[in-house]
This record gives sequence, C-alpha cells and structure tokens, in this order.
Amino acid sequence: MIDAQTMDYSEDDLVAGLPLAPLAMPKQVLEGHRSGGIWAGLLARFAALTTRSQG
Amino acid sequence: MERLGASNTGAETFFARLMVLAASIVAAISAGLVFYSYGTADGPDGVDVVRAALITISTWWLAWGAAQGLLGLTTRAKPPAARHEGPIRGRTVIIVPVYNEDPQVTFARIAAMDASLVATNERAVFHFAVLSDTRNDLIARDERRWFARLVLERNAQGRMFYRRRAQNTGKKAGNLEDFIATSGAAYDYGLILDADSLMEGATIVEMVRRMEADPGLGLLQSLPKIVRARSRFGRAMQFSAAFYSPVFARGLAMMQGRTGPFWGHNALVRIRAFAESCGLPVLSGPPPFGGHILSHDYVEAALLARAGWRVRLDDDLEGSFEEGPENIIDHAKRDRRWCQGNLQHMRLITAPGLWMWSRFVFVQGIFAYVAPVFWLAFILASIAAPHFAPGPDYFPNPLWPFPVFPPDATFKAVGLAVGVFGLLILPKLLIVIDATASGRAAGHGGGWGAGISTLSELAFSSLTAPIFLLFQTRSVAQVLMRRDGGWPANNRGDGSLSIAESWSASWWITATGALALAMTWVWAPALLLWMLPVAVPMLLAPVIIAWSSLAPLTRLYRVPSDGHLPPIVQLHDSWLARWSAPAASDPPTEFTRLNA
Repeated sequence: MIDAQTMDYSEDDLVAGLPLAPLAMPKQVLEGHRSGGIWAGLLARFAALTTRSQG
Repeated sequence: MERLGASNTGAETFFARLMVLAASIVAAISAGLVFYSYGTADGPDGVDVVRAALITISTWWLAWGAAQGLLGLTTRAKPPAARHEGPIRGRTVIIVPVYNEDPQVTFARIAAMDASLVATNERAVFHFAVLSDTRNDLIARDERRWFARLVLERNAQGRMFYRRRAQNTGKKAGNLEDFIATSGAAYDYGLILDADSLMEGATIVEMVRRMEADPGLGLLQSLPKIVRARSRFGRAMQFSAAFYSPVFARGLAMMQGRTGPFWGHNALVRIRAFAESCGLPVLSGPPPFGGHILSHDYVEAALLARAGWRVRLDDDLEGSFEEGPENIIDHAKRDRRWCQGNLQHMRLITAPGLWMWSRFVFVQGIFAYVAPVFWLAFILASIAAPHFAPGPDYFPNPLWPFPVFPPDATFKAVGLAVGVFGLLILPKLLIVIDATASGRAAGHGGGWGAGISTLSELAFSSLTAPIFLLFQTRSVAQVLMRRDGGWPANNRGDGSLSIAESWSASWWITATGALALAMTWVWAPALLLWMLPVAVPMLLAPVIIAWSSLAPLTRLYRVPSDGHLPPIVQLHDSWLARWSAPAASDPPTEFTRLNA
C-alpha cells in the first residue's frame, strides 16, 4: 500500500503485470518453396503463373 | 471490414514505381556500357566484362536511391483525406520493449509521453506496456524500482504495466508476440516503440484518428527524426534525417501503394490485424539464415499486406523522434545486426502469396548490404585488370604499315565518375534548392546554411564511405560464413571514442587500405590517383572514427530542434532532471554502475 503521508510504497503494489486478455497469433507460412531454394522457387512461381494465364 | 482486392494498386503508384525503376535501370545500363567502352580501349577481355557488370549493378543501387529522391521532390507531404474527428473509440496500448536499457532514461520517456497525452484530453484510452527482455537481473531490479516510481508519479495504476520474460525467445518480435498472446484482446491498437522512441501525445492521437477513419489500415508508420545528437557523426546523421529524409520518404510514400514500410518502431498497428497476420514462424535450418526472423518489421509489413491490410507511411506526421548512434562503431554494430536480418530475407523472397512489391522490398534490403561488396569487387577487379589485358593492337590491319594508336578513353572514365558522383549529390543539391524555395531551409540555418551543411555532409559521407564499405563487406562475409552476430545492447552513452578505441575496432581497415595502395602501386600504377579517394580514408580510419565521435566546434548541421526543442523532448528533459536530482533514497542504478 502507498502511505499518503510519507509516499512510501511497495514495488509490488505498483508494478502490475499485463492484463489477461489472450489473442491467438497463428504462425504464418513463409517457406512455400523450400526444396530448391530461391531460384527454384522463382521458377516454380513463374511456371505457375504461365500455366494460369494459359487458362 | 474493407479488404483489398487483388488488383487494387493505383495507377499513380504503378506509374511512380515504373518511372523510378526505368530511370535507375537506364542509368545503370548506360554506366555499364560507358565503362565497357572505356575498359576495352586496351583490348577486350573477360575482366572488362566482369567490371562492366559490377559497375552496372552498383550504379543501379545508387540510381535507385537518387530516383526515389527526385520523385520525392515532385510533390509535398499532405495528410490523408480520411480522418476520424469524433472521440476516439478504441483503446490503444503504447508498447515499449526494453533490453538492458537504462530504466531511468527510458521510463522518463514514458512519463513525458504520458504527460503529453494529458494535453490531448484522450489519456484515458491509452495504456503503456513495458515489455522487458532484459537479461541482467540487477538492471531488471532497477527497472521494477523505476517503474514503480513512474506509476506513482504519473498516477498511472491500471494504465501502466510491466512484465519481464524469463527467456527472450524470438528477440523483439517474440517479445511483441508474447504480449499479444497474453493481452492482445484488451486493445484495438498498439503503438510500437523502441526504448529510445519519443512521440508527441498529439501525434499519437492523430495516428489513432487516422486508423479509426480507415478500417482497412493495418499499420501506420510515422517518419521518426533523430534528436539529441551531440557528436560530429551523430549531428551529420541527424541533419540527414531531418533535411534529406523527408524528401526520400516522400518518394517512398508515392511508391508504397498499399504495401508501405514498417521500420519496427514509431508505428501504430491494428492489434487484430497484426495478430491474425504476423505470427512469425521459426525458419528451418540454423542461424544466420534459419531460426528466428531477425529483421521482423519488413516481414510483418509484407504479411499484413498479404492478408489484405493496408500498410502506410504518412510522411506528413511530425512529432515522432528517436535517437541515433553517436559514432561510426556503434553505427557499424547496429548495421551488422541489420545486415544479418536483411540477408536472412533471401529465404523469404519467394514466400507464398506476397505482393510483388513486398518481394522487391526484400530485394532492396538485401541490396543495401550487397552493393558495397560489388563496389569492392569492382575495385579489386580494376587493380587486377592490367594483368589480364591483352594490350592494344597497334597494327590491326596487316596491310597498313603504320601503327594505329587506340583513342584516349580517359574522358569516358572521368565522365562516368562524374555521372556516378552526380547520382549521389544531385538529389541533395536539389533538396537544398527546394528547401530554400519552400522556406523549409529556415530551420537548417537558411539557404546558405543548409547549402554549406549539405556540402560538408557530402564531403563527410565521401570520407566515411570507404570505411562503411569495408564494415558492410565484413558483415556480409560474416553472415555468409554463418557467424551469428548476436544482438548486443545499443550504446546510448555520449559515444565519444579515443584513438586507441578506434584503432582496436578499425586497424584492419587501415591495413586493408595500405594493402590496396601497395597492390595498385605494383599491378596498376596508372590507377593510383583513382585509388587515393578510397584508400586514404581507409588508412586514416581510426583518426576519422575518433574525430567524428567528438562534439563539433562549428555550427554546421543545424536542425529545427536546435533552436526550439520539441515539447516532448523538453518534457523528457524535465522528467530526467526531476529523477536525476540526488536523493538519499536513490542509490546509483546498476546501469549507471556498469557504465561508469
């Protein structure tokens, strides 16, 4: 408790932890083309785009 | 909820990107062709092709920066049309991650920002969360002590929170993620700061208003300016950030479209968007390319955009500040971390679903650190070139009895050097003219003052460029050799360095400069004059580093905050003075003891 006269206080009274209000933070997918590295990945994406554009 | 369509990039954004990209590519190819023409004057060989390719790539990077600056001169920063005028509806948490920082100085910043928010009459909807990743138990004890005093003196029980993680898994990104997993649902918006960030209350409120007015906005980045620089190097950086950066940021803002930047701090995020989009995975494989993502901010911006949220830099926002390194060594240490983080992005260029511009931003970040390696390779190839040159053919026609002398191509080399140097200085000189015409130069010593500071900064950056070239090349080499650089705490003291300290950190640069001169003398004496602007600063690196870490004796590099300290900085000063007053109950902190 804080003593209003002396302003003495206990740290535990004032150092409050975070409010408990959990929010999920799902892990994102970032490694979609891991097998062949950057160039294989770029090639794969180019091939996919070409295929898509051909119908 | 407004989300983005797949083809929502505006025509203006597309045109701006196209112009800058096309201009930089044309400049790069021109430089490459001119050089090839010069290099092959003594007969074509493979080294000429390599050198022409290296200078093409290196020039592209310079031209890209120059074109961005020139683009930024074509318009003025202005606030967005959408702005919520009524009372703020959502609740914002101001997030202050700390890692072995001085708690007295850091928490005085929180006190200042809280006091600044009082003036906006919106303080009730703002909380502060100090997220400590401090590893030193004694500094952590001081953090609790100063935090208790902060809460008491700001009457902030229930509005200010403190927690310290037992393990700093995932570094800053992990710290933030831990906060959202624990408390994210309690807030609508989060203002992410660094320990050295300072923002005016009015700026914070304005950012929240803009985010409330735009439900599709996931992240709003402000343009922080450097304050409190004291050394020659620090003041040159501060001048650059205050005088040039707004123009370059304008260019960036014109090209950002919906996929703007996130620089890791002084930015407001929509907590729900951040939570659902920015959970960072641990990359497969060991560090430095695998493991936790180090430069998380670029990745989070890309992920927000991928999820359909808008990421925006509002370069008209004032009242956003940070502190910068005071000497070249501290700058190089920070750059070492950023280098590792940016090179790690090589793994993410092909990540599924990202916008093309996000991928290009990764490439830019990588290029910022790889470009010096190309320059160094060009220098080395030029020293070696005479060894490979076939030599001129004086009798190309066997039926012609007289020798044919090859044309003197020196003018091409000089022209190329002027062109490359022009890419560096032209945008800055145009910024002086623009600032003088618009009146912005008044805060920088007027037109003449800003012009002289700019010329001085150009000379200073030319002097330090070879030193940074070697620091960055070493950083890249260390990363490629899979040496993890770690994350040492920043030195935010006064930053001055002795010659001995500079020598111990840069003797190898002096040795490299001496070796380069010796090699040129032996193998390519004709290049000696060309080599001097590169080799001499290397030779003098310890002197330059020590000299630039000292306080300046002139009034160069003036910035608006010299004449009139921003209110938030004044508030911070007053809180620091209040807390620095000697009191029997205040023993020296662990931080001050460790740094004594």
